[in-house]
Amino acid sequence: MATIQINNLSKFYGSKEGGAAVSGLNLDIRDNQFVTLLGPSGCGKTTTLRLIAGYITPDAGTIRVGDRVVSSADGVAPPDRRGMGMVFQNYAVWPHKTVFENVVFGLRLRKVPAEAARRKVLDMLAMVNLAGLEDRLPSELSGGQQQRVALARSLVVEPGILLLDEPLSNLDAKLREKMRTELKQLQRRTGITFVYVTHDQAEALALSDQIAVMHGGELQQYGSPDDVYRRPANKIVADFMGIVNFLPGTVEAGPNGLAVAVDGVAVPAPVHGTLAAGQPVDLAVRPESVRLAVGEAGTGRLAATVTDMTYLGNLVEYWLQLESGTALRAQTHPLERFSVGDRVNLSIDAADCSVFPRAGAAH
Amino acid sequence: MALLTLASPSRAAALPRWLGLEGLVIGGAIAALVVLVVLPVLSLVAASVWDKGLTGSFFATALGSTANLRALGNSLILGAWTGLISIVIGVPLAWAVSRTNVPAKGLIQLTATLSYLSPPFLTAIAFVNLFSPNAGVANVFLREVVGLDVTFNIFTMSGLVFVTVLHTFPFVYLLASSALQSVDASYEEAAQILGASKLRTALSITLPLVAPAVLSGTLLAFVNAIALFGSQAIIGLPGRVVTLPTRIYALFDYPPQYGVASALSLLFIAITVIALYLQRAFLARRSYVTLAGKGARPQLMDLGGWRWALFALCVVAFVVAILLPYGTLIAVSFSKSWGLAFWQNLTLENYRFILIDYDVTRRAILNSLMLATIAATFCVFLGAIISWIDIRTRLPGRKLLDYAALIPLGLPGIVMAVALLQFWLKMPVALYGTFAILLLAYVGRYVPLGVRAANSSLRQIDPSLEEAAQILGASWGTRMKEITLPLIRPGLFAGWLLVFVPVIQELSASILLFSSESITLAVAVYNLYETGYTEPVAALAIVNMIIIAVAIGIARHFGGSRIGLKTGG
Repeated sequence: MATIQINNLSKFYGSKEGGAAVSGLNLDIRDNQFVTLLGPSGCGKTTTLRLIAGYITPDAGTIRVGDRVVSSADGVAPPDRRGMGMVFQNYAVWPHKTVFENVVFGLRLRKVPAEAARRKVLDMLAMVNLAGLEDRLPSELSGGQQQRVALARSLVVEPGILLLDEPLSNLDAKLREKMRTELKQLQRRTGITFVYVTHDQAEALALSDQIAVMHGGELQQYGSPDDVYRRPANKIVADFMGIVNFLPGTVEAGPNGLAVAVDGVAVPAPVHGTLAAGQPVDLAVRPESVRLAVGEAGTGRLAATVTDMTYLGNLVEYWLQLESGTALRAQTHPLERFSVGDRVNLSIDAADCSVFPRAGAAH
Repeated sequence: MALLTLASPSRAAALPRWLGLEGLVIGGAIAALVVLVVLPVLSLVAASVWDKGLTGSFFATALGSTANLRALGNSLILGAWTGLISIVIGVPLAWAVSRTNVPAKGLIQLTATLSYLSPPFLTAIAFVNLFSPNAGVANVFLREVVGLDVTFNIFTMSGLVFVTVLHTFPFVYLLASSALQSVDASYEEAAQILGASKLRTALSITLPLVAPAVLSGTLLAFVNAIALFGSQAIIGLPGRVVTLPTRIYALFDYPPQYGVASALSLLFIAITVIALYLQRAFLARRSYVTLAGKGARPQLMDLGGWRWALFALCVVAFVVAILLPYGTLIAVSFSKSWGLAFWQNLTLENYRFILIDYDVTRRAILNSLMLATIAATFCVFLGAIISWIDIRTRLPGRKLLDYAALIPLGLPGIVMAVALLQFWLKMPVALYGTFAILLLAYVGRYVPLGVRAANSSLRQIDPSLEEAAQILGASWGTRMKEITLPLIRPGLFAGWLLVFVPVIQELSASILLFSSESITLAVAVYNLYETGYTEPVAALAIVNMIIIAVAIGIARHFGGSRIGLKTGG
């Protein structure tokens, strides 16, 4: 089975004290899943992918594929014996081989008879919409077509696991979106386990069954796209998964249990058990969870002033200032228009907010 | 699941990595480098301080005897003058080509390239034919036809500097012109818009930007100039201008003084290494020039009428550096007896002699072709493996390997020969006088060129191309054969010719290592010259140049890259 089990995996660069590219990583990747390793550059996601592929030997921990240990500090099965596929950020399509020769390479290594191999290659090229281009050289192809050659080359050998290292980052925005859809369909159709590396949170949300958010070499959260977006495990995840406002507040006891007081207004956000009344916290609010209305604040609504606005086409983004001076971003439908200087009152969808203890604040 | 049936390539169980092909090839390359370079240099060091016990007497003799000190002094004088005059010729030519509207820029480029590729011992022979005090045709002409009582004597330090400069000025020219071309006009325009005059701009903006390149080229000219055995023997010895290479050569006359030769060789290495170290330091400082990159748009100066004066200078350079020596050699090669009565005694006899009748020259030509082919092939593959280890592996000590491959750059040819002799005379295998020791000398001397060629190609190939083959199940051997070697093939081919050309005309190391059986082209030229066969020597020289021209033609045809970065001599 094409499952991957990563236990306590660590990789240091330079001295052990120097820096950990990956430290103490635990990850269970189930069969047939589309799993994304997401994080900013330097977070360890590519190192993790290369550890899974076997290009790097871990300093601690193990990687199992099915029930076989393929990597441990004692040694690794080299990449050429893992039977995985990999798509590289720069495609790595061999410039001296034609499209056909690129794709058939793995089949020749597996001693597939010529005629069967030829049929498989042509089928695969048709599947990635490259039919008829088999005699072209990579230099005669567009970036998107080269990307598809790389995909076909990896998929034609029917690997149980396909590793993809930022495969869409070199494409322009429109093509990226198109390839995104094709990748997802391909994964559903083939049932291959995809491990996908990206720094683009929108891409991760759109594609993945599970997202592993990484930062500083450590796993921050592992969960479904909805989980990591709406219920981030910490401020790092909340910050990375899109625009977020951190509003300073205090935990207080209210009629319906604990709530967060911001500027004296109680926001009934989900406060988890370890936080007690009186504790200073940050309330994480997505800009789309803020609703604006004209007029003075009523009960349960925050008063604010519009300080700036940016028209984004499908959205309008407002910069707001609360009474306490805290700045806040909100995004609304373009039908509702406010002007700079308007006094507005805000309501916040409390259920979509997260509450985190404020770093450095005394208990 | 059904999809997994194809997934794993069928291969034998994994061997430990060091036992596989990869391990064997890497190990082989390291061993080759140790045997080719490291051990000979170490035995040179040992021989210079060891004579049945530690001794300082060899160094004392090397630095104490007048003959050795004079040789050292002459080499430094030769190098200094050559470097200086190379600037005087190279910088104006570089400036003319890169920054002015001088006509016939192609001619200057051609002059520089040809001068650079010409083996200096052939140029030396040509100028001896013209300017030897008694028989030199130019002198005879001046005396007997013009009736002037002047005699140019080529057999002097000035004569030696003159002939050497013809070979070394291209080092300054090439580095200076590439630096001048990469200084973007915007730098100069920025100064001018602030009110600087043209002269002020040239002195305060352009000059500092290109100075490191000029100094670096000068040091290369210096290092090359002092290492040339052929010209220093042909011109220096008759005039009693003994230099380090000729002095070391003389120390091998019976009874050979191995210890002193080794000590002197180490001094020679020290001078070369210091100069090369300074050269690298200067070159490193010009990195900011190349920032502008290929797209740099140099500012061309309209010289008006002056451009014809500059053009005249360029023509003089072409005539003196190319037309005169090669015209002379061609003329001599078709003469029964070299002299003023040229048109009365034309013959093809000299070519018949060296190509058909005389077995020594016939053998020498074939030997050189064979040795150059094998040495170039070895150098290129060894270079490819060494740079692959450096760039693609995390092998501990791989940087050391890279440095070891650079050592030969600091070894003048004759020193390489001394080191090989010291090492192999002590070994139980009798290599002295065989083809093998010549091959070792050539591969050892020119392996840096192989490494450099492979290195620059390999750096342009993203490691992911190899990794993509690996994850599909390709073993190391398959990856090299299918991916890496085909991709760096153009670079390797250029590197092959880069080694082939200097090996064909290698003299400095061969002169100590050849035997009558393994005699090479350049040695045959030198020996024939020594025995006074003026006309056949010229014919052999022309054959040498034809071989090189064919090799370069092939290179142009296949790669078009800049061929012939370092010539032997």
